[in-house]
Parts: sequence; C-alpha cells; structure tokens
Amino acid sequence: MAAVNPVVLIIEDEPQMRRFLRATLRAHDYQVVEAATAREGLMQAAGRNPEIVLLDLGLPDADGLEVARTLRQSTRTPIIVLSARGQERDKVAALDQGADDYLTKPFGVQELLARIRVALRHAAIPADAPPEPVFQVGDLRVDLIRRNVFRGSQEVHLTPTEYKLLAALIRHAGRVITHRQLLQEVWGMSYVEQTHYLRVYMAQLRHKLEPDPARPRLLTTEPGVGYRLREELPA
Amino acid sequence: MPRTTARMGELESGGRAAEYLAALGVVALTTTLGLVLRPYLSNVDMAMLFLLAVVIVAARTTQGPALLASVLSIAAFDFVFVPPAYTFHVYDAAYLLTFGVMLVVALVMSRLTGRIRRQADEADARARTTTRLSALNRDLAGVGTLEELVRVAADHIGRTGGGIATIHIAPRSGPRAAHDGWLAECLPADPTARAAVLWAHQHGEPAGAGAGHFGEADVLAVPLRSATGSVGMAVVRPGETRPPLTPDWPMVAALAEQTAIALERATLVAEHETARLEVEGERLRTALLSSLSHDLRTPLASIEGAASSLLQDGSTLPAEVRRDLTETILEESRRMTRLVANLLDMIRVEAGTLAVRKAWQPLEETLGVALLRLDERLKAYPVEVDLPPDLPLVPIDELLIEQVFINLLENVARYCPPGTPVSIEATPREGGIVVSVADHGPGIARGAEEAVFQKFYRAVGAEVANRTGGAGLGLTICRGIITAHGGRIWVEPTAGGGATFRFLLPSDGPPLPGKPSEAEVVLQAAAPPSV
Repeated sequence: MAAVNPVVLIIEDEPQMRRFLRATLRAHDYQVVEAATAREGLMQAAGRNPEIVLLDLGLPDADGLEVARTLRQSTRTPIIVLSARGQERDKVAALDQGADDYLTKPFGVQELLARIRVALRHAAIPADAPPEPVFQVGDLRVDLIRRNVFRGSQEVHLTPTEYKLLAALIRHAGRVITHRQLLQEVWGMSYVEQTHYLRVYMAQLRHKLEPDPARPRLLTTEPGVGYRLREELPA
Repeated sequence: MPRTTARMGELESGGRAAEYLAALGVVALTTTLGLVLRPYLSNVDMAMLFLLAVVIVAARTTQGPALLASVLSIAAFDFVFVPPAYTFHVYDAAYLLTFGVMLVVALVMSRLTGRIRRQADEADARARTTTRLSALNRDLAGVGTLEELVRVAADHIGRTGGGIATIHIAPRSGPRAAHDGWLAECLPADPTARAAVLWAHQHGEPAGAGAGHFGEADVLAVPLRSATGSVGMAVVRPGETRPPLTPDWPMVAALAEQTAIALERATLVAEHETARLEVEGERLRTALLSSLSHDLRTPLASIEGAASSLLQDGSTLPAEVRRDLTETILEESRRMTRLVANLLDMIRVEAGTLAVRKAWQPLEETLGVALLRLDERLKAYPVEVDLPPDLPLVPIDELLIEQVFINLLENVARYCPPGTPVSIEATPREGGIVVSVADHGPGIARGAEEAVFQKFYRAVGAEVANRTGGAGLGLTICRGIITAHGGRIWVEPTAGGGATFRFLLPSDGPPLPGKPSEAEVVLQAAAPPSV
C-alpha cells in the first residue's frame, strides 16, 4: 500500500450499504468519501480526486450510466459498478461506457477488495507502458514475446484466433471484459454481435488450458456480461 | 294446435271452403244416384243412402261440413223423395224421425272423427317434437364448453323458430344478476320486439310472433327457465332476408326447456369448478404464507440473534464463538438471498414476464457458471459431467438456464445424503438437446412425478427441506424457464434409485450464422500484433 492511503469515492444512495462499505474499506486502510446522489458524486469526484470510484447504478437523481460516462470524459479513475443480479444489460452498458469492473449485490468483502486491488494496479500502469513479457497464473505460462503458451512444462498449441483471444484476456487480466470488447479486439468492429464466435473459441481455449473445462478456474464466465481471466487462483 | 300466422290461416280457411263444397258435392251426387235408382229402391233404402253420404262427409271433414251435409241430405231427401214429392211437406210423421236420426248421426260421427283426427295430429306433433328434442340432446351431449352449448342450442331454436336465435345467460350471482344487466344485451332495437322480450322476461312466459302476448312482434322471446329459476333468454329474430318467423311454439318451448336444463347443468359444473379452484387457491395461499413466514423469519431470527449477541458481548465471547456467530450471520443471509431470488423468479414466471433472450452457445459454459456458483454447497457431492465433444450449440438464455441447473443441483444438496454422486449429461436429439441431471438420493415418490413441479410442493420428509431452506419453488421455476424456452422438463427414476431430471432444449430460435472459419481470422491476425 502506498504511503498515503488511497481515496475511495462511494456513490450509493442506500445508507446501510454505505455504512458497510465505509466500515470495511476503512478497516483495510482506504480513505472513504461518500456521496448519496449522482450530483454530489460528480462534485466529490472533481473535488477530492479519488483513486477509485464505487458507483451504484440505481441512484435516485440520475442514471448511474450517465455518471459513468461523465466521469470517463474527464478522468481515467477506475470505476467499479455496483448492481443487483438481473441488471446484466445495465452492467454491460456501464462497462462498455468505460467502467472497469462490476460487483453484483450482495457481494462479500473478499470480492470487493480483490476488485479494488486489481483496478488500482491497472490504473497505476501508464497507458503507454510496455506489457509484461510473461503472464503466469497457476500452471499457465504465456510468453507474450515469443507467443508461446505452456501448461506446466508442456507447450500448448493454440490457433491464431485462440492466441489472439488469450492475449486480449491477458491485457485485461483480473478484470471483466465484455463480449463486445473481446469481439472488437479479436475479430474487429464488424463482428461485435457475433457472440457465438466468441463462445465457441472460448470453449476451445478452455479445453486446451483448463484441467476441467466444465469447471473453469482460469477463464471464468461472467454470465450475461463477458469473461474474466483470473490473475490469482482461489485457494 | 293453434295455427295463427296469416299464411297458415289462409290455408286453413281455403281448406274449410273445400270441405263445405265437398259436402255439397257428396249430397248432390247422392241425390242424383237416388234419382237413378228410384225405380228399384224404397224410400227407406233411399234414407240409408243419404245416411251413408252424411257418414262419409262426417268421417272425412269436420263438424260444420258434416252438419251441412246432413241438413242438405234431409232437404234433398224430403224435397225429392218424401211424398208429396218436390215439396217440403211431410205427410208421414215417421220421416221426421228419419231426419232426426240423420242429424244425430252427422253430429256424433263428426265429433268422433274430429277426436280421432286431433289425436292423430297430436301424435304426429309429438313425434316431430321428440325427433327435434332428441336431435338437440344428441348435439348437446357432444359439446365441451358453455360457448359451444349456447351455439348448438341457438342453432336448433333458430331453425325451429325460422330465424336467427341468440341465447343469453343470466348470471347466477354478482351485481349483473341483481340489475338484469345481462338482459340489456338481448334487447332488440325494434320497440315492439323489445317490449315483447321484456314482457317475456318479467312474466317468465314466451312472447312474440303468434304467441298470446305481443303476437304482432317480429321476434320470439323464450325465457329459459329451470326448476331453480330463470337461467336466461332465447331470442329469435328474423334472418337476413327477413323470411317470416315460423313460431312452432310447443316445439320452441320444448327446445327452450331442454336448453335451460343443459345450461343450468353446465353453469353448475363451471361454478363447482370455480369454487374448487378457489378453495385450492386459498389452500395454496395459506401454504405460501406459512411457508414464507417460516422461511423468511428463521434466517432473520438467527441473524438478529447472532448480531445482537456479538454487539453486546463481543469482547467477552471466546474467539471461536464469535466466529461461529459471524458465520451464522453470513450463512443465513445467503439463505435469505437465495430465497428472495427464488421468490422474484417465481413472480416473473407467474406474471409471464420472463423475458427469454436466446443466444446460440455451448451448454458447457452455462453449466460451468452454475457449478462454480454452487462450488461450496456441492462440496460433499461428487459431480460427474459428461458432455459429448461434438454437442451442438443451443439457443438459450444463459442466465435462465444457469438458474435451472442451480435449482436442480441445490435440490440434490437439499435432499440427498452427502457423498451421493450426481451425473450431468447432454445428448443431441431431433430438434434439440436433452440434458439430464441424475442423482442417487431418495428419489421421487411414485405418482408425485408431476406434483413435484407444482408450487410449494415439498418432498415427504419436509423437515429436511425446512432445515436447508427450500420454499418449494425451485422446480416450478425450472418448469417455467424451460417452458418459456419452448422445451419441457420431467423427472424419471434413476436406475438403481434416485431421481433423474431431464429437460429438452429445442434448437429453434434465431438462426445460427455459421461457425467462424480459422482462415477468416488468420487474415486479421496477420495485422501487426497489438500485444
């Protein structure tokens, strides 16, 4: 953790939810700034210059999506969207608007802290910095220079598309990436609606990289939203 | 049988005139015959000849022509044959007796034949009524719904009445019954016809064309009455080409009576069914309330208890007790979350607002999400997944099908003893794929294979379910989701014991736009790598 504790801005209208977030984040050495409305949230974001924003999508005075868009216009500050299950379309919209990740209520503390950690780490890397040459998680090792993929000591042969897909996931490692974003990065703009391409290749990739493709540990599905490549495996 | 329309009246009077003419003809013929036979016959024989003529006329016609024949016969006999011939004088008083006998014979004969003819007519009418009635009954026996019944009965009554019949059912209860509101629907526009229908309803007697009341109205209004009162009204209006109505009233009345009985029976059956459903609904609501209040209160009570005890004695409690209490809060909140999610899903299924967003995808992905979400709960149950590598993509709503897997697998955790193996398989079928989730637990009681999909159904030994927080909604939601996908779900026994839930996911939906070829992407991959 940096010498100065990072500032987290919570934009959430439910006092009980703010209370839980405040208590938890303070206990983990974050500074907490709170806002109960979209207007207040945007003011706090401009005034307090937070390192990260937790944004509830169901605000009383404005659409959370609108807040995400407005924030993204002026700052690269990571935004983590908070929403209920069943609001997948809103989540996707927020992510495609520039939000970095999301949490589905109710969520646990471990999940919350992990998302914040990943978002802060990515934000700390300058946009023009060269990527890490090697990505490693569990027994998967990807050499991004030589374009080699290994499971343990065994090299895995990927098709060019599979490799492109994996590379895109590695660029977003730890964070969710929507179907649309992945399709755009791997296949191009004109393919963003062809979700089944993505699903077919994702299944192939899992069969090559996961010990049990029906229970993926690395390449997890975010139902209705997209995929996430884990940076760390659950214990 | 009163025949009273103008047309029928004309026919009748024409018939009557012919009868009188026939009487006249017969007497004239007899007189001529008498004149021819005069040299051979005595006057007594002549009287017999005239008596025969009277009997013939009386037997074939009615009283009037018979009397005419007898008076004419007396006159002709007297004038032509009785001395002094060609005068009406009678010398021998014995002839007066002959005249009297002829008159009496005419009267008695015509009375007798009249009665016989009436009986024959009645028998004929009865036979026709019986034929029509049995035709109506035969048709009514085949109907399934009240609407069909009304249509069939209206058809029969309309044909008999010579017009187009409509049948209006009087509600047995509710505000419409009290205000005769239903009657407004069957009132014709024509004021006379309208008055006839109203009168018929108020007096419970038929009215309209040819009836005792409103005989001039161009409508037949027939109240449908059963033993328990008015069940409605049949109204016959002239057809499109406006042919005159043919009110065969006794027949119409008979059909109306039969219709009323059938209607009453049908409405009674419908009411009985409604009442049964209400009782059933009430029973369900009560079950829902008791089940919900139990399911919601139990976790809340544990959460409140644990939290308050942590707040009050937090510092004095041993660490493991504090941990225990905290875990209770966590577990019970998760249970509440599941329950509330189920209730919300149930409401969506019930309200029919389940929006299914189908997209072609591998089933493996959706199953994977469900298995990951249930990782903790299924820890004690070895789950074997067997999906063929060439399993085609299916068009499904991933969030909903995930819920189906979750509900089915949660039931395994709820009802099967720990360690029970579960196997999940999928096989391509004509028009889709069939997925099965097979456990080796207690299985489904014989005969309950359909009941398990009903709301709030819980397996026997529900205390097990109560402990683990099932509200009896999981399978109902599964069925709602699968049905919304156009598929079906059912349960079979697992070989060797246990339950196997199977569901068919049809492969209809948006067309599958073909698998991307590797070549297509190689071209793109040739671009400078962005990594």
